[in-house]
Amino acid sequence: MLSLVVKSVIVGALAGWAVTVGAVRMFHAPEIQSMGAFRTLGELNACKGDPVSHFMFGLGFLFNSAASVVGAGALTQDVLHRIVPNWASALVLLKTKDTSEPLNNTRLMGMAGAIVGAVVVTLLNTISSAVPSSMAVVASKVLGQASNWLINPIMPIIFWLAALDAGVQSGVAATLLGGLAQMIMGNAVPGCVLGIIIGKNVEENGWNKSVKILLTIVVILFASIAYFRGFHVKFFKAFAL
Amino acid sequence: MHKSFLMTDLAFPLIVAVACAGIMGGTSLFLTNRVGAFNEIFVVQMLSNGLQTGDYAAAASFAAGFLIARVLEGPLVGVLDIGGSLMTGVGIGIPALLIASGYKGLIENFTTAVLFGALAGLVVGLVILLVRKSMPQGLSAAGTDVMMGAGNAMGRYLGPLIIISAISYSIPAGIGAFLGAALFYYLKKPIPGGAILGAMILGTIFPVK
Repeated sequence: MLSLVVKSVIVGALAGWAVTVGAVRMFHAPEIQSMGAFRTLGELNACKGDPVSHFMFGLGFLFNSAASVVGAGALTQDVLHRIVPNWASALVLLKTKDTSEPLNNTRLMGMAGAIVGAVVVTLLNTISSAVPSSMAVVASKVLGQASNWLINPIMPIIFWLAALDAGVQSGVAATLLGGLAQMIMGNAVPGCVLGIIIGKNVEENGWNKSVKILLTIVVILFASIAYFRGFHVKFFKAFAL
Repeated sequence: MHKSFLMTDLAFPLIVAVACAGIMGGTSLFLTNRVGAFNEIFVVQMLSNGLQTGDYAAAASFAAGFLIARVLEGPLVGVLDIGGSLMTGVGIGIPALLIASGYKGLIENFTTAVLFGALAGLVVGLVILLVRKSMPQGLSAAGTDVMMGAGNAMGRYLGPLIIISAISYSIPAGIGAFLGAALFYYLKKPIPGGAILGAMILGTIFPVK
C-alpha cells in the first residue's frame, strides 16, 4: 500500500506538471509548439477567471474517473485532460486573483498541476485498491468479454467503414490491406489505418515519392510479420502447394 | 516581456519527456497493481487482453497508428494531442511492443519504466520539433481526421457491449449493468462507468453458483 501511494504521488506529480505546462503553452499556439487537447483549451476558456467554475467542472469528471478506475484500473484520459488543468487553474486563481495568470505563468501553473496531479492520482488509485477482490473478479470477467468483442470484430468494422466513407482510394487501399492484416495478424485495424493514410495521401498529393516509400515500408512490414508468424506455411498448405 | 524557459522550443521535448515518464509510470502501476493507467477503459482493456492471451497485435497496432498520426498532425496545428500520442501511443503501444518482445520486466519495474518513458518522450518531442522545422514535402497529415473519427467512435460501443456481456455473465450482473448505465445516462455521465459499477455491485451480492 505504501509503495502504491509513493508511486502514485510520483507519476501524478510528473504527469500533472507536464500537462499543465503544456496547457499554458496551448494558449500561445501555433507560434509555440504546445501539447494537450483542443477540448481542454475550450473548457479552460469557458470557465476562465472563476476558480469555483474550474473546480466544479473538474469535480464532475472525478466521479466518472473513480468508477472507471474501480472497475477496470483505468484512470480515463479526463484526469489529465480535464481534472488536472482545471483544478490547477482554480488553485492559481485562488492565490493570485489575476485571471491572465493561468494562461501565461508556466512556473506557477506547473507547480499547481504537480500538486493536483499527485493528490488526484493517489486518491483514485487507493480508492480502487480498497475494493474487495470478489468485485474485481466480476468486473474483469464482464469487461474482458466486452473488450474482446470490441477488439474483434467491432474495431475492424468501425475503421473499415470509416475508410469506405472517406473515398475511393482510401476504401480500396483499406480493403486490400485490411483483408491482409486480418489474415496475417488476426486483426484488420492496422491494415485499415495504413489504408486510410495511404489512400488519403494519394488522393491529396498524387502518386509521389513519399507515398511510394510509405507503401514499400508497409509491404516489408506485412511480409516480415507474415514470415515470423508462420503465415507463409499455412498459405501454401491451403492452396495445396 | 520576459519569456520563461518553459515557453521556449527547447523546453518542449523536456515537457513531453516528463509527461511520458509519468504516463509510463502509470502503466507500470497497472501491470503491478491493476490501477493507475492514464487512459480510457477500452484502450487499457486492449493491453489487459494482451496480458491474458499473449497476443499484443491489437494494442500495439492501434496505439502505434495513433502515435504516428498525432506526431504528423501535432506540428501542423501547434497542439500535440496527448491523448492519442502520449497516453495511447507511448503509454499503451510501446509497453505492448516491449512485452510482446519479451521485455516485460522493463515496464514492470517502476524505476526503469519511468526512465524509459522519459526517454521515449524525449524522442517524440525532438521528432515533433524536427517535423515542425522541416515539414516533409508531399506527405501531409491527410487521413488523420478519418482515423480520429473512427477511434473516437469506438469508445461509444463499449457501453452497450458491457451490458450485453454482463447479461451473458449472470442475470443480476446484467440487471445491475443496464440500471447503472441508464442512471449514468440520466446524470449525463458516460455509460460504461455506470454499467460496470452496476454489474459489479449486483454481481457480487448475488454471485454465480
